[in-house]
Amino acid sequence: MSDNTRGVFSLIIINKAGGLIYQREFQAGLRKLSTNDYLVLAGTFHGVHAITRSITPKIPIAQPTPSPATGTTGPAAPGYSYPNPGVPVSGLDYLETDKFRLTCFQTLTGTKFLLFTDPLTGSVEGIIQKIYELYADYVMKNPFYQIEMPVRCEAFDRHLGAWLRGRT
Amino acid sequence: MVVYSFYIFDRHAECIYKRRWLPRPTSIVGKSRSNTVSDAAPTGLGQTVRSTDDDSKLVFGTVFSLRNMVRKLGGEDDNFVSFTTSQYKLHYYETPTNTKFVMLTDLKSPSMRIALQQIYINLFVEYVVKNPLSPTEHPGGVGVNNELFEESLEQFVVRAF
Amino acid sequence: MAVPPRHATMQSISNGNTAQGNDRPPTQQSQQQSQQSPGLRVPSNRKTIYDRHLNRTRNAELSRASFAFLFGEMVTYAQRRVTGIQDLEKRLNEQGYPLGLRLLDLLFYRSTSTSSSALSSSSTSSSPPNRPLRIITLLHLIHGPLWRLLFGRAADALEHSVSAETANEYMITDNDPMVNTYISAPRDMNMLNCAAYVAGIIEGVCDGCGFETKVSAHNQPTELWPSRTVFLVRFGDPVMEREKVLERAGIK
Repeated sequence: MSDNTRGVFSLIIINKAGGLIYQREFQAGLRKLSTNDYLVLAGTFHGVHAITRSITPKIPIAQPTPSPATGTTGPAAPGYSYPNPGVPVSGLDYLETDKFRLTCFQTLTGTKFLLFTDPLTGSVEGIIQKIYELYADYVMKNPFYQIEMPVRCEAFDRHLGAWLRGRT
Repeated sequence: MVVYSFYIFDRHAECIYKRRWLPRPTSIVGKSRSNTVSDAAPTGLGQTVRSTDDDSKLVFGTVFSLRNMVRKLGGEDDNFVSFTTSQYKLHYYETPTNTKFVMLTDLKSPSMRIALQQIYINLFVEYVVKNPLSPTEHPGGVGVNNELFEESLEQFVVRAF
Repeated sequence: MAVPPRHATMQSISNGNTAQGNDRPPTQQSQQQSQQSPGLRVPSNRKTIYDRHLNRTRNAELSRASFAFLFGEMVTYAQRRVTGIQDLEKRLNEQGYPLGLRLLDLLFYRSTSTSSSALSSSSTSSSPPNRPLRIITLLHLIHGPLWRLLFGRAADALEHSVSAETANEYMITDNDPMVNTYISAPRDMNMLNCAAYVAGIIEGVCDGCGFETKVSAHNQPTELWPSRTVFLVRFGDPVMEREKVLERAGIK
């Protein structure tokens, strides 16, 4: 086993309405929660994610003032910009704690993939990208999967597990 | 590195201190926000400031939820350290007495945990807790109204970054 | 008067075939010409559009994703107002059956036009390849050329039932059927195998060859191949009787 095969604790998928549609543990490291707790966690995270997006600092666009010393309170800026103007405003992407790292990937359609990893695990983006690919293949192409409903696709489970195990 | 804002919440979830820095130093000489609001009539800035007042509630809601989530998953001894979005980074530090320090910075900033801890130990404890005139509780959001603390914080942030 | 070029082409073809041949007595030269360009039906170099795949290159295959979505919709469609798993499989089978019938003609056409195909080698070498008369020939046609035409590879196994009572049963195994790649049946339907559609295709091919059969798809997962599927081919009694007659007659 190479270094980055270790350290993927668990995966949660949240649908666009904030409902938990998938939860799976790959490796011990986090405390086990009841199904109900996971449902609450998914709903809470869904809300928090939206708030973290809305509290993005807004930087007033300062109008060019010839003498900065006089403009103590700043000019009447008509608008504001975001810290990274070129990048779309997102909600929480990474969360770090002493014991784990949570990476949240939101697809353009609003589905959220939450991956809990060891803080030292590298290339988490690659892992999430692959999970998204497997989801698109084995969940979305499955005629028996109902959109927005809990994911119960044996082929998805199988390929996800096999890929995480065989990753080098 | 840029610091956008700084909040202190007491154990009753009351926001007892908040401070905002605008990224251009020339436009933020005004010390406290209440002054800024009363002085600056322009609607544009007023709106921004008002949203900051609401922000403190949102920030508290966020860190409170995330802290509980982290404890639930990582155990009681796990600590929520920080989170990152595409635009900013939020740093969190909680004292054993449940006072919460929150700082919003840009993405390039390193971990601010030590810095927040130093603000707590060297500034908050020294100038606020040890000050006989400062209230121990802050009902109704009286807040930390302490010139010494504010000036030191200002210096700390400006000097450190 | 402006004559459209297409019209002119048509005329020249009809001239070459009929007008010239009728006007003049057949000479050595004209006979040779008619052999070189025998007309639309069988051109001399045998390069009609039927000979070629729609895709020019061997690797330019159809998008697997498009097929997966289309097949998914077919399953969803078949699932409407069904009474149970067997009913659903029957519907999928019925969707595949006409495809098998139609596909057979194309398969024969392609098989006879290329000398290296398994079909021509399995039939008698001297005569031009026929449609399969014996069961084994037919099953080899399905196992090899048909599978390659549909899925780009041969099937994984071909077996005959060991029991004498079920001598009319043959099994074609596919370790990982392409149609089932992205399909996970719900737990309460774990008997369902959507490759019933492929079973329908096989049934159509057999019927097109004059073999009355029933084909069904069954899950036979192994550790290595979780979606391994066995297609059970059951030939009807008349086919088995004819098979005995043909065997006695020594026809291969």
